[in-house]
Amino acid sequence: MTIAAALFALAAHGARLPAIVAYLVAGLFLGPMTGMVELSEGLALISEAGIVLLLFLVGLELSFEKIRNLGRVALLAGAGQVALTALGGFVISLTLGFTAIESAVLAAVLTFSSTVVVVKLLEQKKEFDSLYGRIALGILLIQDLAVIALLTFLSGWAPDEAAGLGAVAGNLFKAFGGMALLLICALLAARHGLPRLFAWAAGSPETLFIWSLCWCFLVVLAAHVLHLSHESGAFLAGVSLAQLPYSHDLRRRVHPLMNFFIAVFFVSLGVKMNLDRLNEILLPAIVLSIFALFIKPTITAFILARLKFGERTAFHSGNVLAQISEFSFILAAMCVAAKLIDEQLESLIGLVGLITISVSSCLIVYNHEWHRRMQKWGLLRLLRASQTEEETACPVSAQNHVIIVGANTLGRNIAQTLHDAGQSVLTLDTDPGKLRGLPGATKMGDAQNLSFLEEAGLPRAKLLVSCLHIEDINNLLAYRCRTMKIPCSIHAIDLSMVDSLLEMDPTYLMLPKVDGIKLQTRKLKELGFLEP
Amino acid sequence: MTGLAILLTVAAIGFGLSRRFRIPVIPLLLAMGLGLSLARSAMPGEAFDHALDLNNLEKILQLGLAFLVFAAGIELNPTRFQTQKKAAWLVGLTQFSVAGAAGFGLARLLGFDGISSLYLAIALSTSSTLVVIRQLRLWLRMFEPFGRMVTGALLLQDLLMIVWIVMLARFGEPDAKLAQSVGALVGLGALAVICQARLMPWLLLRLRSRDGKRPRVEPGVQPWLDEESLLLVLLAVLFLFAGGAYFLGLHPVVGAFFAGFSLSSFPLNGVVRSVLGSLSDFFLAVFFTALGALITIPEPDLLLRAFALALMVILLTPPLVTIVAEASGLSSRSAIESGLLLAQTSELSLVLALTGEIAGHISRELFSAIALIAVVTMTVTPLVANDRSVRWLLKFHPLRRRLPTQSGHENHVLILGFGAGGMWVVKPLQKAGHDLLVIDDDPAVIIQLEKLGIPCLRGDGADEKILQKANAAKAKLILASMRRVQDTAKLLALVKDIPVVVRMFEDRDAQAIQALGGIPILNSQAATETFMEWFSKHGLAGKDGRDSLRV
Repeated sequence: MTIAAALFALAAHGARLPAIVAYLVAGLFLGPMTGMVELSEGLALISEAGIVLLLFLVGLELSFEKIRNLGRVALLAGAGQVALTALGGFVISLTLGFTAIESAVLAAVLTFSSTVVVVKLLEQKKEFDSLYGRIALGILLIQDLAVIALLTFLSGWAPDEAAGLGAVAGNLFKAFGGMALLLICALLAARHGLPRLFAWAAGSPETLFIWSLCWCFLVVLAAHVLHLSHESGAFLAGVSLAQLPYSHDLRRRVHPLMNFFIAVFFVSLGVKMNLDRLNEILLPAIVLSIFALFIKPTITAFILARLKFGERTAFHSGNVLAQISEFSFILAAMCVAAKLIDEQLESLIGLVGLITISVSSCLIVYNHEWHRRMQKWGLLRLLRASQTEEETACPVSAQNHVIIVGANTLGRNIAQTLHDAGQSVLTLDTDPGKLRGLPGATKMGDAQNLSFLEEAGLPRAKLLVSCLHIEDINNLLAYRCRTMKIPCSIHAIDLSMVDSLLEMDPTYLMLPKVDGIKLQTRKLKELGFLEP
Repeated sequence: MTGLAILLTVAAIGFGLSRRFRIPVIPLLLAMGLGLSLARSAMPGEAFDHALDLNNLEKILQLGLAFLVFAAGIELNPTRFQTQKKAAWLVGLTQFSVAGAAGFGLARLLGFDGISSLYLAIALSTSSTLVVIRQLRLWLRMFEPFGRMVTGALLLQDLLMIVWIVMLARFGEPDAKLAQSVGALVGLGALAVICQARLMPWLLLRLRSRDGKRPRVEPGVQPWLDEESLLLVLLAVLFLFAGGAYFLGLHPVVGAFFAGFSLSSFPLNGVVRSVLGSLSDFFLAVFFTALGALITIPEPDLLLRAFALALMVILLTPPLVTIVAEASGLSSRSAIESGLLLAQTSELSLVLALTGEIAGHISRELFSAIALIAVVTMTVTPLVANDRSVRWLLKFHPLRRRLPTQSGHENHVLILGFGAGGMWVVKPLQKAGHDLLVIDDDPAVIIQLEKLGIPCLRGDGADEKILQKANAAKAKLILASMRRVQDTAKLLALVKDIPVVVRMFEDRDAQAIQALGGIPILNSQAATETFMEWFSKHGLAGKDGRDSLRV
């Protein structure tokens, strides 16, 4: 499965298509087309872990401050979008000849967008912190809350369907009560228990990472015990850790793990696809997909334009939400279990998911090009949005600065001296304790990680100085700087390392052992053991 | 999901204890896992087993093992131990053959049949790449001569172990099948070598070879894959090799090892490590905890025999490796450190035992016993491989007993530790007419000094006895550059009213030395001054400064 995913991802990379499309196609190839792979329990576990980690990552992004900043816009745009899209989806489904209950399920499916796809692609495009990215995230948050409420409702509804309305009401009370309990516990933990515990663990990056995973899966387990979805547990676990100063580093560490698991999830989605009745479901699938791809973003953009956002921001915010959510598959499965819909409708939902996720991924990856075309065709004028833009790009990042890796004595000395000389300095280390009290900017994280170096502005830096006592990372940093054509000064811990470092052609090699001997010679002269 | 949550919780406790008590994490993870196993057996019914989800746990264990062997293979870059090739081969081969032979003999003595004894012997003959590499990384000593030597010995042992796994799996089958498996192994190995030297650096980093030399990094040539695609491709390489091995009738973990090796060239290994970092941490935590949890404690008789065999590994390997490493040119201290570090069985012994069980050569109980030996020895290694043990063992070293009589030097300059830059220290002092005496533990340094006619003693500068022999108390100046601040503290307690100049890196060490009456020389301070001289010359000029920095 991984081999197929990698091969298709490479092909997609060559064709400049998003990896998600490649995974889905790989899944279709392995499943419905060739029957090479059947989903096992192990694969289901990995897929489930992928979703859990993804929602954990989404939660990790949401500090209380961000939630507050997004609050009003997210609430108004999110609630408006959910209401109008659900209404539109319901009407169109009824028009297509579905029953009222089926139309209600389809409306719910069409309303929600995929946090997985949006977060993943915005991160890939490094536009997560743009204004439209933040608005989209806010709307997704409102959608997630609505989804969680819906899933909670269905998990309360499904099991005891035969036991009468009283039992259903009891289950719903338990489910919503459980959600409230979990939320309160997570918030209390975020305020009181976790900060102290994680501050203690932060000195060891591995401990911090494993503890955060443990916390995530424990909250998921608690959600499971309370009959809630695993996703809601993972999300709350992430939110409770997002308040800590180490959340960025945690995100970077969890990311590769999530990438591996989520690839399996998307390929599994493709494998699971039931295309036996393709002829019967193709037409409604296309109509519903067009609704999700073009009408839903228009609704969102229209609401944002009324909230006085510029045309560009409104367009991009709507565009990123033009797909249905992975929750739709879970929702569909739960509705089948609750006998609200039949399996053919489940297949239809699967196909709409496949089409909208694939097309929307391309529309997000090429969103600026897509925006230009829409502008050229004059379609955006229909939004009647303002032409002035509040913010068009990410906040200005550091540039022409000196990055120092490793806050040991050498790193601290160099940071202080450069700062005193008026240079703009950014010091990086995995241990927050070592960064305390340093002049200039500091950032906690692992310099082995390319995205961390990019966040630190390495491509725009004047110089990188690696003071680490770890040969492999020093070599890696010399390599990274060479590929980016950034000058670097590297610590040669021992003379035996000079040869391999010289292969990377660093701008300057620091040899403290040799410099120490020179200083010692000066001292011996002072002490009178050597002639001045 | 519940099983994974339980494993991660137990692993998190292990990591917490490791941080609190400064104990290496692997033994704690194994111990916590064993605790889970005991809890399982103590609890009536199958509720706990069900919660742990044993079926999926075994799958995670296998995936974890394949991944960790893959990650360990990435560390085995042959150029890393080029300078210690001879020592690495000697140590690797001697340990494999002598420990194997002793293991076979002891197993027979303990009443195991021939084929079981053979499996036990091979399992006992190889050390764990996973445990040793992790320990070397924690100590920040991968780059030291003994670190390079140990890495080379591990690569050789892993290869020998893999050959044996393949041969034993075909034990009792027609020769043609054995030849087929050996052929498959050689083919896979050859493919890994080609990938390591040329294919992978080009495929993943766009590095090309010029004039038949090693691939070079051209400035501005970036890898063509983003991190996500690279991660997938790396995992695809792992599964391609593992799947290939399976298709050829070999164990998938054998393929995982070759996959790791194929990515071990420099600088590719660094890039790969940076992408796989958190996956390695995750699988390390889950694998060792799951391994402990899945161990079933054998019957008391077999348990005792397994402990006897584990004890043999722990007691035999250190002296054996020390003798060979020292004879190959390593210093006494480094040789002892190598011996302590290699005293455990390998993760590949689990693959060996699994293959043996599947082939029907050994029983399920013997599989558990081999796994238990791995757990015990892997647990003991990080606990005993430390400075205190090395210092204690140095007391029994024959060199220390054969120390020369008083050196006869008085009013001399005593230099503790020659190192790579020793000549820069010695030459000006010689020129100034001082009587010098150098103490160094490295036999190669001693030979070099003797050739140059510089008075020297072989031994550990932290050893009180050798300091007495060197008449340290009557020296007029002592220059020290010992790695551990405690050693220098001992020296300062021994010699009073003599200027002791000590070179070190960290300022907290310098403060400690100054408080004890020494004269600290901060290498890092000196390097900062030199760096700033260079930076002032090149970095401050111009608006941007970037171009002017290119010297």
